[in-house]
Amino acid sequence: MAKSIIIAESSEIIRKGLFFLIESFDLFDSIKEVACAKALDDAMERYQQPDVLLVNPALISREKLENLRENSAGSLRMAAIIYSLYDEELLVLFDEVISVGDKRRKIEKKIYALLDQTPERKENKPEETLSAREMDVLKLLVKGLSNKEISDKLFISPHTVISHRKKITQKLNIKSVAGLTVYAIINEIITLDDVQ
Amino acid sequence: MKEFIITGKMKMADVINTDKRALVLLPRFGIELGFGDKSVEDICLAQKIHLDFFLLMVNVFLNKNYFPDKKLKDVDVDMLLLYLENSHSYYLEEKIPYLEGLIEAFKKKVEHPAILQLEKFFNQYVYEVKDHLAYEDETAFPYVATLSAHIKSNTLDFSEFDYHIGVFEQRHDNIEEKLSDLKNLLIKYFPPSNDRYLRMRILNELIDFEEDLINHARIEDKVLIPIVEQLEKHIKN
Repeated sequence: MAKSIIIAESSEIIRKGLFFLIESFDLFDSIKEVACAKALDDAMERYQQPDVLLVNPALISREKLENLRENSAGSLRMAAIIYSLYDEELLVLFDEVISVGDKRRKIEKKIYALLDQTPERKENKPEETLSAREMDVLKLLVKGLSNKEISDKLFISPHTVISHRKKITQKLNIKSVAGLTVYAIINEIITLDDVQ
Repeated sequence: MKEFIITGKMKMADVINTDKRALVLLPRFGIELGFGDKSVEDICLAQKIHLDFFLLMVNVFLNKNYFPDKKLKDVDVDMLLLYLENSHSYYLEEKIPYLEGLIEAFKKKVEHPAILQLEKFFNQYVYEVKDHLAYEDETAFPYVATLSAHIKSNTLDFSEFDYHIGVFEQRHDNIEEKLSDLKNLLIKYFPPSNDRYLRMRILNELIDFEEDLINHARIEDKVLIPIVEQLEKHIKN
């Protein structure tokens, strides 16, 4: 799903800093910046509603906040950008508070939480050997069976067949059926006779 | 490598020495090696190549981030088509036959039964590349040539076409996938055999060909298609 975020902050240093941090999380397809209250109003009107709004509380009134929340029926997540102490009563209106003192990891966690996700640690390398089920799918696939035929034969849904195929391609780094056929013969998963 | 923008004042020899990928472009413009210390500008002048056009093509080919936008309207469409056709000839007459020869030699050296399937896969790939190039040469380019000729002579009835460049874009499908598979099969999966250098040479050639095709496709996407879209718009108004 394409996700979008708007960063509303008047300090250029802080706005740009957040922009680059958030860009590096690789979470959003669209990141827009606005520098004043007027531009924020324009952006909210002109573009489709973002998934997340990061805003300096100085740029938005309590009324406006409540309005946005109501109009989005709860789907818009909002976080306050704060430099110093702010009125607690105002901050409770936000889903999250990001302080300029927060470390990168902490900001990452907070942004992910706003989207109801947790950051994946990238150390988890993908498995490269095929599972038994993926092997079954591969065998039938390189013999020339369609997704539908494979699904009938293995008693799994076509959707599952497709997801196995995706996994196979990811693991082996081979996309075409013809390429997978060569792989299957090299590894003696099938014989030449099977594909004649 | 740091990307650099080529200008008319540079020596052609320096251009090639700095980025060897520029080498394949020379025959596409009819430029022969052995040009001494002549500048890009001088060589273009002698060969009757529009300097701006040459620079545009070279820079788009070498830099994936180069945006030509405003220079496009001055491009001579016939020159562009000639360039693209020359690129195709290079693939068809030079690159592919050479690769075919290497695969043939590889097949003779390797005893593993999978070589037959690999060869079949390669032939299928070649067939698809040729089919794609033939489509462009026989359908897309002639269309662009007619369009441009009619605009020059101001005699055009758009209704005589049942084709438009949008079709080209859709058909401009990736022939890159199979090439990448072929590479991975040779790098990762084909079992070791007594062909050490031959296999490396095939891989080198495949990687080279892949890069050339990607750069070529970029010229079609960033130069040809926008120009034709402009021509089509011009006619519709």
